[in-house]
Amino acid sequence: MEREGPVLETLTRRLAETPGDFLEAPRIGETGRVHTAAVVNDLLRRFGTLAETADLVRFRGANASRDRNALSITQVVCWLLADEWFVHATPQPAILLYLLGDQARELAEQSAAGKFVTDPDRREELARLALARLGYRPAGETPAQAQDRLTTLSSAERARVMRAAREAEERARAIREALARKAAQEAADKWGRE
Amino acid sequence: MSLADGALHVHRDAPPDDPGGLTDADRYPTLTPHGRRMIDFLRGHPSAPIYRNQSGNRLMADEVAHVRAFECEVESAHVGWRPGEMPAWLGAHVERCFAEVPFYRRYGDRPRDFHHIPTVTRADLRDIAAFVPDGIDAARLINFSTSGTTGHPLLLASLPTVAASYLAFYKRALRRFGIELRHGRGRVGVVLAGFQRRCFTYVSVTPTMDESGLAKLNLHPDDWRDPADRARYLDALDPEIYTGDPLSFAELAALPLTTRPRALVSTSMALAPELRERLEARFGCPVLDLYSMNEAGPVAIFDPAEGGHVLLQHRLYVEILDDAGRAVQPGERGEVTLTGGFNPCLPLLRYRTGDHASLRVAAGREPVLVGLTGRPPIRFRTVAGEWLNNLEVTHALGRFALPQYTLHQAADGALTLRYHGAASDADTLADALRALFGAGQVVDARAAVFEEGKTVQYTSELAGARP
Repeated sequence: MEREGPVLETLTRRLAETPGDFLEAPRIGETGRVHTAAVVNDLLRRFGTLAETADLVRFRGANASRDRNALSITQVVCWLLADEWFVHATPQPAILLYLLGDQARELAEQSAAGKFVTDPDRREELARLALARLGYRPAGETPAQAQDRLTTLSSAERARVMRAAREAEERARAIREALARKAAQEAADKWGRE
Repeated sequence: MSLADGALHVHRDAPPDDPGGLTDADRYPTLTPHGRRMIDFLRGHPSAPIYRNQSGNRLMADEVAHVRAFECEVESAHVGWRPGEMPAWLGAHVERCFAEVPFYRRYGDRPRDFHHIPTVTRADLRDIAAFVPDGIDAARLINFSTSGTTGHPLLLASLPTVAASYLAFYKRALRRFGIELRHGRGRVGVVLAGFQRRCFTYVSVTPTMDESGLAKLNLHPDDWRDPADRARYLDALDPEIYTGDPLSFAELAALPLTTRPRALVSTSMALAPELRERLEARFGCPVLDLYSMNEAGPVAIFDPAEGGHVLLQHRLYVEILDDAGRAVQPGERGEVTLTGGFNPCLPLLRYRTGDHASLRVAAGREPVLVGLTGRPPIRFRTVAGEWLNNLEVTHALGRFALPQYTLHQAADGALTLRYHGAASDADTLADALRALFGAGQVVDARAAVFEEGKTVQYTSELAGARP
């Protein structure tokens, strides 16, 4: 975060105005509309980079229920990084691919893609993350301020996600235990059995 | 059966309560003295079978009212949607699934286009807790297990009200054939007949039918003190309806019953038209072929006048998809895929059933599944190297009215036929297959006893067997 970047609000506003096309379902197998790998390829070309096929494979997805949200976030990140400021910043292709791939997958564990468009905190987190990965901080902030704010946003979200995950696991365990009880196994009257 | 007939009773204890299990007060929370008399009659009749298990309706008073209201809703509901459109309730259902069901939440945002929602397969249901919405009270959960012939056995979450709501769809199906249920207090409404080596058996009462009797029993002689008791007991019960499968109905047809039900409802296996006709002639009543599954309950009823299975549920949307998950053209065959349902513990969102059919949708009419087959069609190879659709095998063996059979083709082309309840001998059945497949076809035909649950009827090791 040594270098000063753009005013944060320009990026969060851009996220808030993400076109609907970028929020369409990624195409995985034969369902979904957006070919995420093609969107990534277009973005990299905009940065003057020719993507290797091996780099793009990961953006095709294999399992719709598992990969869908991560690829949706990739599409939102594509829209963010297509901003003129990023293009002029000429980031390294490896960092772009990290943001689009691993970073998007990490974020997918925490939030639905749409949250990075509709939720102010998630918009700010994504904008700050993108800048930080490229070594920038928002204009008008010191490196310490920028780091502190990003940590606050990320750790609060991580804490929320961990709390939700814990509650979900407890709930799942309670359901499994309830279903395993003798009383549940006796079932109840149906007029026919399949 | 009427308790007023003064039928003889003997005292016979129920199977002992299992520690940690339920008492009768839990099984029948609203039981009145009338219901108690019915249960005692069903258990205590001198010819009663050995009831090996216990279960009950489990319905609290408010739940009985809920089930009654649901029956009214089902009775008057319009089932279906306009061609090319989706039912009005679908959007709210999808919204709820994405908001309240852990499994669907993992998808992220709800796609704008319904067809972009990922499909769910039977394998996904192995983590059944992830399909139970946030608001469901775990304390009321019951489970139903499904057979594992196509994969791992599944344990599905349900509620007593869901189990009790099956009756609403049975009534709707029966009404299509002009049958309004009449039984009530002091009568037996239904006998669920099985014919298996092992079978879950018990007696109960149906609160929404004024505590009419319900008996789930096994016609296998091992479950009776005297095989002749079967006809005596069933005549004493004189149920208004029998439910079962082709196998148990074939056994039922062989019993010297003097009473006549008003209908037979067959579930869980494909019912050959020839067997249906034979059963209708034997019992002098309609024999209904119900398409039902644990994951969704009663889905559709076969109506010869419609040429297929007519959908029964007003909150169940059916799509027909190809192997890649794309909607097929109207009228084309594909995999029956379900959204909605009436089990709040398992809200379905594009659930691929593994069953195949085409779908006919017409404005103002109930949609019809045409050519429903329980499994993907299999092709068999003749001696001359031609491919045969499994429907041709069904046709060739249809005249024997086999209650249940399986046919497997090995990699070398040899056929293995296993069947139950045939009036013809193995050589005759093998000859029928040779007539179809060509002289010189190797056939191993033998009688067999099948285990409880769905059976995969047609299988093949040959490459190209899946058309």
